[in-house]
Amino acid sequence: MSTARDVAEQIPPDRGRPLPDLLHDRRLRLLLLASAVLLLGGVVARATSAQELTSSGTFGAAFRFAMPVMLAGLGGLYAERSGVINIGLEGMMIAGTWFGAWGGWQFGPWYGVLFGVLGGALFGLIHAIATVTFAVDHIVSGVAINALALGGMRFLSTVVYDNVPGAGVTQSPRTAPIDTLSIPFLSGGDLFGWRSPDMLGWIEDRSWVFLSDAAAVVSGVTKGVSWLTLVALALVPLSWWLLWRTPWGLRLRSCGENPYAAESLGVNVLRMKYYAVVTSGGLAGLGGAYLVLVQAGIYREAQTAGRGFIGLAAMLFGNYQPTGVLGGAALFGFADALRIRQTSAVHALLLLVGILLAMFALWTVYRLQLQRGLAIAAFAVGFILWFALTDDVPPEFVPMTPYVVTLLVLSLASQRLRMPAADGLRYRKGEAV
Amino acid sequence: MLKRTRAGLAGLAVFTLVAAACGGGAELTCESDGDVGDVGIGLAYDIGGRGDQSFNDLAAAALDKACSEGNVTAQELEPAAGGENREENLRLLAEEGYGFLVPVGFAYQDIVGGIADNPDTAEDESKTGVAEDFPNQLFAIVDGPSSGSNVVGIVFAEHEGSFLVGAAAAVKSETNTIGFIGGVNVPLIQKFQAGFEAGVAHINPDAEVIVQYLTEPPDFTGFNDPAKGKEAAVGMYDRGADIVFHAAGGSGGGLFEAAKERSDATGSKVWAIGVDSDQINIVDDDLKPYILTSMVKRVDVAVGQVIDSYVAGESIGGQTLAFDLSVDGVGYSTTGNNVDDISAQLDDLKAQIISGAIVVPDTP
Repeated sequence: MSTARDVAEQIPPDRGRPLPDLLHDRRLRLLLLASAVLLLGGVVARATSAQELTSSGTFGAAFRFAMPVMLAGLGGLYAERSGVINIGLEGMMIAGTWFGAWGGWQFGPWYGVLFGVLGGALFGLIHAIATVTFAVDHIVSGVAINALALGGMRFLSTVVYDNVPGAGVTQSPRTAPIDTLSIPFLSGGDLFGWRSPDMLGWIEDRSWVFLSDAAAVVSGVTKGVSWLTLVALALVPLSWWLLWRTPWGLRLRSCGENPYAAESLGVNVLRMKYYAVVTSGGLAGLGGAYLVLVQAGIYREAQTAGRGFIGLAAMLFGNYQPTGVLGGAALFGFADALRIRQTSAVHALLLLVGILLAMFALWTVYRLQLQRGLAIAAFAVGFILWFALTDDVPPEFVPMTPYVVTLLVLSLASQRLRMPAADGLRYRKGEAV
Repeated sequence: MLKRTRAGLAGLAVFTLVAAACGGGAELTCESDGDVGDVGIGLAYDIGGRGDQSFNDLAAAALDKACSEGNVTAQELEPAAGGENREENLRLLAEEGYGFLVPVGFAYQDIVGGIADNPDTAEDESKTGVAEDFPNQLFAIVDGPSSGSNVVGIVFAEHEGSFLVGAAAAVKSETNTIGFIGGVNVPLIQKFQAGFEAGVAHINPDAEVIVQYLTEPPDFTGFNDPAKGKEAAVGMYDRGADIVFHAAGGSGGGLFEAAKERSDATGSKVWAIGVDSDQINIVDDDLKPYILTSMVKRVDVAVGQVIDSYVAGESIGGQTLAFDLSVDGVGYSTTGNNVDDISAQLDDLKAQIISGAIVVPDTP
């Protein structure tokens, strides 16, 4: 949701009634919005006995589901900011799962992380050679990478896991888990061998509206968090800083906007694109390694199940911005977590989305954007009716939830999404017109 | 420059094909070298193929046994990771002339019998099944009923086996909350759920069974996504379950991880129940202590039996063979000795099911 706001932020409030003074601070606005969503979520959860809607377990799971998607999305961000479309993220992630599991099995989990990154980066390099050096169509190369990774990893499994107990052509041996962290006092972490009290857990158990739900959110992200999650999260501000606050980042982005202008200013465009695409592969590979080492504890063939593609969607959703990618991934992660933990809670989600849309519609009308407000109100009524007239969401529709929500957000947010100007275009050195 | 682009593309394509073609795992001992002998068997695996530590491996074991025993030649093929070339594989084996073809897995049902026979998708009348196109060869489909005079159906009473592990879970549970994780929400997996729930209710009508499927068809990744399996299990343990049964293929590994993690973190032990093969034998040593029992499905026994019948020249076409508790086609495993104390009770239930005193439902 935050992303829609980020995008809206860039738009001067030129239409309709201006914002009240109080709401001019973007951070405050985001905080208010998040609190409202949480408050409503808590009320809906209690009213419909969909307790998983705001449980710390769901938030924790959402967080874990979001990480591989976010890492793939960040990978896509680097490549596309440099002007290379990366459909091969899924394949690079597959390489990350295989190499991550192999490294984890051979040397320990952190080596698994390293090998996962290297495996993904290797396929990133192949993509770079094809698209940057040989100017192969980016989509064609990406699709080939996906097929190549799947077949290549199968081949490696037959070679490496032959006669390894517990492993086979489709799976690796078990990998040891990465240590987790719980914050002392707040989430009951250990302090010098003594188990401190779990304050947030205590508040959550009281089931106070809003307060317990807020405690659940914080508890979900501070209790039993893998160290690798913290590393992955740190990559969001790091990427922002690298791409928007360093000369290297400026050069990289200029290659995606206008490579010939960059070239005329002395930027080695080919080299920048190589850096970007290899980094992209490495990040997707890290996502694969996360999936294996933190979430699954084992490599299974094709276990990525499209997470690389979802990462690509999260990147588009996030408007080619690191924080936007995180927001998009969190949305997908939450939908996945809710569905996996309590499918019936997805029904309650309809009511929540309906009420939120209704509030959004009122807000839009207040801003004197009548037409838009009516359209949103129609959606709101639709969702609330759907909730009221049914007892559950048909199982076939449940997996669609994240996509429907994404579509809604994208279509309701003002269409200010912009891709890098030279994204996907072939670049040849010295060909400027 | 165009030339260079083409060369790059072609190179990439060739690399892809080579890498994709290099499949295959442990070898078949009586592989035919293009010459189908008197008794030729073609085995078409489902996703995972030989070496999957589960379903396909059990079929492979039966084939290996037949190879070692008699004058049999055989060939085996496994589909790509997405399973889209299942039909291609089966047709290829049939065209090569193998007299006895064994497609392994319920996904072959429409491929063998033809989509026209399936009322749900009957609009495509022109589509005929592989068995109809090769009427002089015999097919034996694992996990599907017979669809013609040259098709042997092999079905298992998964609900009966699941009933027994459900009963075991109900006896062993201290929280009276028990979980069931299904890989994909299809009728075959619902059969496991129905039997399991009935087994729990038979012992303790007040116990709660939390049911969760990982994906909905046509998304079959739920059989191969241990991350989802683990989160589903964590959710069930969070809600008070202390025993969780899975019928989720490769996603089940996540359940075992969750059981270990939860037991380690809280100090009070929670259990997992395995499926298809005796999973305590194939998981990592660290995970063995958390597997209570497994609902075993003897694909090896069933495939071995139809191969023997075919080799002996018996006429079995058109039949659907049911492998249930009475022939030990399904059952519960005792490895790990975790259910020794209640085995008398479970065997009594088994006898009652066989005699018909207990009728286990096969739909939830």
